[in-house]
Amino acid sequence: MATMTNGPAKEQTTVLTRSLDGIFSPNGIAVVGVTATPGTVPYDILHNIVASGYQGRVYPVAPGKRTICDLPAYRYVVDIDEPVDLAVIVFPAEVVDRALRQCGEKGIRSVIVISAGFREVGPAGVEREEQLKRICADYGIAMIGPNCLGAINTDPSIQLNASFARKMPHAGRIAFLSQSGALCTAVLDYAREKEIGFSKFISFGNKAGVTEFELIEYLHDDDQTDVILLYLEELRDGRRLLEVAQRVTRGKNAKPILAIKSGRTPQGADAAASHTGSLAGEDAVCDAVFREAGIVRVDSLEELFNSAVMYAYQPMPAGDRLAIVTNAGGPGVMATDAAIREGLAVPRLAESTIAELKKTLPATANTKNPVDVIGDARADRYMAAMESVLADPNVDQMLVILTPQSMTDIDAIAEGVCQIHQKAVKPIACAFMGAADVASGIHRLQKDHIPHYILPEWACRAMADVSWIRQWRAGKLDQPERPVEDRQPAAAILEQARAGYLPEDLALDALAAYGLPVPPRRLCQTADQAVAFADEIGYPVVLRAVSPQIVHKSEAKALALNLACADDVRKAYDRLLADVARAVPEAEVRGVLVRSMIPPGHEVIVGAKRDPAFGPVLMFGLGGIHVELFGDVTFALAPIGRTGAARMIGRVKASRLLEGHRGSEPADLEAIKTSLVRLGQFVTDFERVVELDVNPLIVGPGAMGHAVADVRIRLKEESS
Amino acid sequence: MTRDEIEKRVRQVICRVLDVDDDMIEPESHFVFDLGAESTQSVELVAAFEGEFDIEMDEDAALNVKTVGDAVDFISGYVK
Repeated sequence: MATMTNGPAKEQTTVLTRSLDGIFSPNGIAVVGVTATPGTVPYDILHNIVASGYQGRVYPVAPGKRTICDLPAYRYVVDIDEPVDLAVIVFPAEVVDRALRQCGEKGIRSVIVISAGFREVGPAGVEREEQLKRICADYGIAMIGPNCLGAINTDPSIQLNASFARKMPHAGRIAFLSQSGALCTAVLDYAREKEIGFSKFISFGNKAGVTEFELIEYLHDDDQTDVILLYLEELRDGRRLLEVAQRVTRGKNAKPILAIKSGRTPQGADAAASHTGSLAGEDAVCDAVFREAGIVRVDSLEELFNSAVMYAYQPMPAGDRLAIVTNAGGPGVMATDAAIREGLAVPRLAESTIAELKKTLPATANTKNPVDVIGDARADRYMAAMESVLADPNVDQMLVILTPQSMTDIDAIAEGVCQIHQKAVKPIACAFMGAADVASGIHRLQKDHIPHYILPEWACRAMADVSWIRQWRAGKLDQPERPVEDRQPAAAILEQARAGYLPEDLALDALAAYGLPVPPRRLCQTADQAVAFADEIGYPVVLRAVSPQIVHKSEAKALALNLACADDVRKAYDRLLADVARAVPEAEVRGVLVRSMIPPGHEVIVGAKRDPAFGPVLMFGLGGIHVELFGDVTFALAPIGRTGAARMIGRVKASRLLEGHRGSEPADLEAIKTSLVRLGQFVTDFERVVELDVNPLIVGPGAMGHAVADVRIRLKEESS
Repeated sequence: MTRDEIEKRVRQVICRVLDVDDDMIEPESHFVFDLGAESTQSVELVAAFEGEFDIEMDEDAALNVKTVGDAVDFISGYVK
């Protein structure tokens, strides 16, 4: 949009906000391209706007028609005399550009293009979509779509259903943004049945104009919205998502973003020779970026709404400690397992609470957490247990489990939960397990917006998601660092290199120039040179044949380890060259790299790659030859700072090994952080680096430091 | 049949099928954007032109005709 790219940032934001206000709270709507046939999208859009109770003026634009839905019809949008804030274009794709241009001429700055037939149908559609973008730029139009369901605003003062969703959803505090239009209708139906309300509901389709980023920022400022839900199929700019979401999910007006990201890019499936390349598929990187952005990533609609409802309808818990009240032992244990698995704590109750419970519960009841009120419990017993547990200072949140036994007065218990909920300052969730028998009780809970889950495991997951949101807000945001000031020595090496794998000696030199811990080394052309250098640096040493044709050295027999004296080096040198000649006859050997043998330590991998959607990405994990087998790796967008590096280390399972597992000496974590930060800067500074593996980086105990044992750097062409 | 005669009858068919006034129709009028033809009406128009001129047109090609003037030219190719 031209108006958003020319002026100062604040002015751009104001223009966009005004345009998005025009979409959600318009003063006058033109529906452009309406037909007179009920049951078609163009007709139903107009019908839904009128039927939703929208109080503003509505103008059908329908050439050749006199009235539609009892409203006078116009031939062209420019024929409307009154001002119009929003145009909803429903013409077939082939004439949408004409309609959009007329909207621009009419001065309409907010447009929803419902019509399909654009980039989703191939090259002809792509060109049509580009044309729409040009028109939007010419007239400063904020466009939602094309190829979308439309937008809904449940604000009672607006009441707008500018979509082809059958029914207006209930009003609520949750906003839903979706790239898929069809999914929206299913979501609306699902949410209606569960009494879940929405503030805004937007399908943004091909996002040729307004994207998810602008919508998220708009909803951040929307006082009707507490939680933002996002369904995304394609992420075109991962860095912008990170930047926008970090702003929205933290600070004074923090709102959580919960997202489903489906779909995989073809690039993600590209075969890659490096460990980082093969492990850093789009989805894995997406996962890491969402986490760093403060976005709760979920896998299903069920989970999306489970967690959203928990956040939207319950107070934020002060901590992770969960108390469980149940009338069935088995589900209580299942819930305990799930809670622990999800990172919640199931603490011991205070002695005073246990004493209180002993007074009100039968002798056979379990007064420890989970509190089992026993199968014959009726509402009074549940009430007593719930009140005691919620008052416990060791408890931050409560899960109430019910199984429908013949003595269980389900509706009365549901009523009791509602009463307690009205006074509670701690979050409550319920799992009334079953279907038909518990239906009316569940309905009662949902009426009071008490989150209900069919399975206690789902409740635990939702509570854990909310706990994560709390931790995220309290945690420190990473500040990317660029400690290397002189990039010239490394730049000089890369400038002279051809596309493909950088020879090992040059790769090590480049990393050494960025302060990575590369041991003393020299590329030698004769056995005498190798022996002389080994004498200089001391024994034991390692020999490695360097050739562009050899990527995996052990397979090509291109290395000799732990050589203890000059004689060993001399013999190994000749044997190495002979072995390489046999194993890889086409190998052009640049020389033999001699370096000191690195003392044993933990083997970790530090890698990087350039991702089409995210740019430079860093990887960290358990290293060595079994990297792919264990897949214990994590990712972050480069560059990073020491906080980000610490979080990467903490995310992998191997972090327990590095911290000193079962009495072993802890690794030098500060040294790993330094390497991650410097490597992050390296891959950011040099666009030609497409893949990079330092594997293993050997990390010694304590402050003994660490050393690069092997490296691979793949470069792309200079010009591309 | 002259082009003018074909155009006159084409306009009559359009007025009848799309229920629009003759003064709305120009040679450059787009069936969808200017005259409000729905997708089913486009099919009806093709059938009505075939009946009016007693011709049989290539349906795919006929449905690709976008304006009144182009329709006159297209039908002229079939009418002796």
